[in-house]
Amino acid sequence: MMTVWPWWSGSLALSVLTLGYWAAFKRPLGVSGSWARIVMWRNDRAVGRAEAPFRSNPQLLKDALMAATVAHFGEQAVQEALAARRSTGGAPQTAAAREPAKLAARIPWTAHLTFLVMIAVGGLLTSALSSGIHPQFDLGALHKQLFGAGFGNWMTLFVGGGLVGFGTQLAGGCTSGHGLSGCSRLVPSSLAAIGIAFGTATAVSLLVSFTGASAL
Amino acid sequence: MKSDSLKQHLGFALFGLLMGLTLAATGFTDFAKVHAMFTFHSFTLLAVFVGALVLNGVGFAVLARGKKIPQKPFSKGLVPGSVLFGVGWAITGACPAVVLAQLGQAQFAAVFTLGGILTGVWVYRRLAAGGLNLDTGVCGEEA
Repeated sequence: MMTVWPWWSGSLALSVLTLGYWAAFKRPLGVSGSWARIVMWRNDRAVGRAEAPFRSNPQLLKDALMAATVAHFGEQAVQEALAARRSTGGAPQTAAAREPAKLAARIPWTAHLTFLVMIAVGGLLTSALSSGIHPQFDLGALHKQLFGAGFGNWMTLFVGGGLVGFGTQLAGGCTSGHGLSGCSRLVPSSLAAIGIAFGTATAVSLLVSFTGASAL
Repeated sequence: MKSDSLKQHLGFALFGLLMGLTLAATGFTDFAKVHAMFTFHSFTLLAVFVGALVLNGVGFAVLARGKKIPQKPFSKGLVPGSVLFGVGWAITGACPAVVLAQLGQAQFAAVFTLGGILTGVWVYRRLAAGGLNLDTGVCGEEA
């Protein structure tokens, strides 16, 4: 597995990706968010179904919002507020408030699935175009040397993957969301998250390379 | 509505492909290179990442002038979550995108990393849904 691109072209490609994603979908790139959407796909589908009637009929959404307002504050209070607004002229409504109520665009979980599958296709394409595809059942000589071979190595990967999955959800983002999208805008929480993740990974890597995986 | 969905899928496919190509072509999918970054033996991957941050910083400053981009909150889970992620990253060489590019490159051991990630995300979401009040609003997800 050779490096095919010089570092700066990698930076450029990652930057085009982050900025393009934001420009196209009006939300910051974040891969751990995509994982959450896929793992909770049932939830996603249920929300999509529940929203569908409100999407096709904005008046329905407006009525539902009014019903919820009445349920919360009581019919009398709402009637009084409306009457007060009518009699005094009230606060002038903004142009936005006169628009029909609208739900924000929703990206279906299948689009996130497409995203993740195509990351794998990208890896496949790189191998096919450079060093060729050589199936292997470990992560290379160094990983085997550090973590042993065979079943133990695979279990290490499973536990490590669990930490990556759980940790990124708990931290609210990963190398793309906190890193590429957050750190570049100097968001304090993102700088902290990436600093801590890098720091911990450095400490663990140094520990493992000096003392072997038994230190864990 | 139908064509919106098609556009979203095509757009996500394109960005996914670009991400997979980049991660594999720069060496982020190579455990030895990731380990070399974390043990200060090579600064190539770090240069890729920091270079991208600088370009993004300039890009966001120009493209998003006067617009508000949501910032992630400083949640309770941020520190412990990042520590766990760091440990996992050091021993698998993978972050949540890299694992897929590794699989695409026929590094089949990454199947176990993938299984771990799916399990970890699922366990977290169960605990969060079960009332453990740690939910942070993960990246890319609408509130």
